[in-house]
Amino acid sequence: MRVARPRRSRRTLVIVAVLVLLSVTLITFDARSGTGRLTAGIKSVAHDVFAPIVAGVNDVLRPIGDFFAGSVHYGALQQENQRLQATIGELRLQLREVQGEAKQQKELHALEGLPYLASLKTVTAQMINFDVSNFDADITISKGRDQGVTVGEPVVGAGGLVGQVVEASHTTAVVQLITDPRSSVGVAFGPTNQLYGQASGQGTGKPLAVGLVPAGTPLHRGEKMYTNGLNDAQYPPGIPVGSVASFRGTVGGGPMVVTIDPLADLGQLAYVAVVQWSPGL
Amino acid sequence: MTGKEVTRGLLVLIVALVLQLTVGLDLWVAGAHPELMIGLAAVAGLVGGPERGAVAGFCTGIAIDLFLPTPFGLSALVGTLIGAAAGQLAESGVDRSHPLFGPGVATIASAIGVIMFAVLGTVLGQPDMLTTGLGGAVLVVAVANGVLSYPMTGVCRWAFGQDASGAAWRGTLVSGDAP
Repeated sequence: MRVARPRRSRRTLVIVAVLVLLSVTLITFDARSGTGRLTAGIKSVAHDVFAPIVAGVNDVLRPIGDFFAGSVHYGALQQENQRLQATIGELRLQLREVQGEAKQQKELHALEGLPYLASLKTVTAQMINFDVSNFDADITISKGRDQGVTVGEPVVGAGGLVGQVVEASHTTAVVQLITDPRSSVGVAFGPTNQLYGQASGQGTGKPLAVGLVPAGTPLHRGEKMYTNGLNDAQYPPGIPVGSVASFRGTVGGGPMVVTIDPLADLGQLAYVAVVQWSPGL
Repeated sequence: MTGKEVTRGLLVLIVALVLQLTVGLDLWVAGAHPELMIGLAAVAGLVGGPERGAVAGFCTGIAIDLFLPTPFGLSALVGTLIGAAAGQLAESGVDRSHPLFGPGVATIASAIGVIMFAVLGTVLGQPDMLTTGLGGAVLVVAVANGVLSYPMTGVCRWAFGQDASGAAWRGTLVSGDAP
């Protein structure tokens, strides 16, 4: 027998070239709106097939991990903790909604409308996975199209806006968090929520950057910002998004540099509510 | 590739994917988690050569692409190139006798794979991939795959039907060699 020597067979090159071309073709298919639906469908099937397997493995392995982490009576405590977190989140959200509604009262009366969340149905779902990719901020939740969850619907929980559904299979859905770099949320703030900005994600664990805030806009740390209902109505108005973490002016009187911390505790999500709202309504 | 290799390869692929989607995502360190699939592509190349490395890299990439919000096919492209490059290196005549050769290559290949993924993703219009946690992701993925290259090597040897007692990257028989 002899050990392989360096060689570059034509066959190897052909195989690599074919696979590279195939990958590029798939990327192109995914980018095109027509054929992109095909890849979305394939992804949806994969989610449906693997969701029960992943859930089963997690059910087996996570308690072991929790046990070794030192949790005694971990099962009951974990369930209790999740239940309490969900309750606290709902109460916080209700409180902030009330605050937001108070600020918008004049406008709402003028529009003869009611707060959208009050009249919209929600679907409660459990988070089953967090950040599948190292470069995106997203979660996978336990409800999908079969439970009425569709792409584009806002997701709230644990005190404020969590994100938006970007993929939905039959039994699960992927939610793009507001901290994801691709996420952009129109926000309103000020004494009567008459000031607008655009909050963009900057990655997991980082504050959101708020653009389009004119120089000299009166702000204070901790000031809350709410969805403004604009931006093609991606979100209903009045959902708490974040509180001002920092702000400063720029040289030359350009837009202010403002960051906000999400009001929802995105690192501790156990349950979320999907709001039955379609963009553009 | 034989039917047996394909069957074993599929089994390894599914198990690795499930581990990535469960344990892999729970191991959250420095703002990032391990990415087993790119490490598996590199080790498959080291053990099986560039052809098998490329095919394994494509398959592992497609599998994880099903669960990523990034463009479908991007991980497959990166996996193909990493698997083929690792395989080419293993067959290039370099001294592979050092026990850290395999983990070293798996570490470097994984780091290059993550950077390549971020660069190509940026080229394809994905925002902030070069700035959002790239350093942490490179570090975590590279170190994890370097450590995990030992069990991955055994798994790939089994999948490719190689003698488990032989050294993986110390000499790959070329098809057609006389015994």
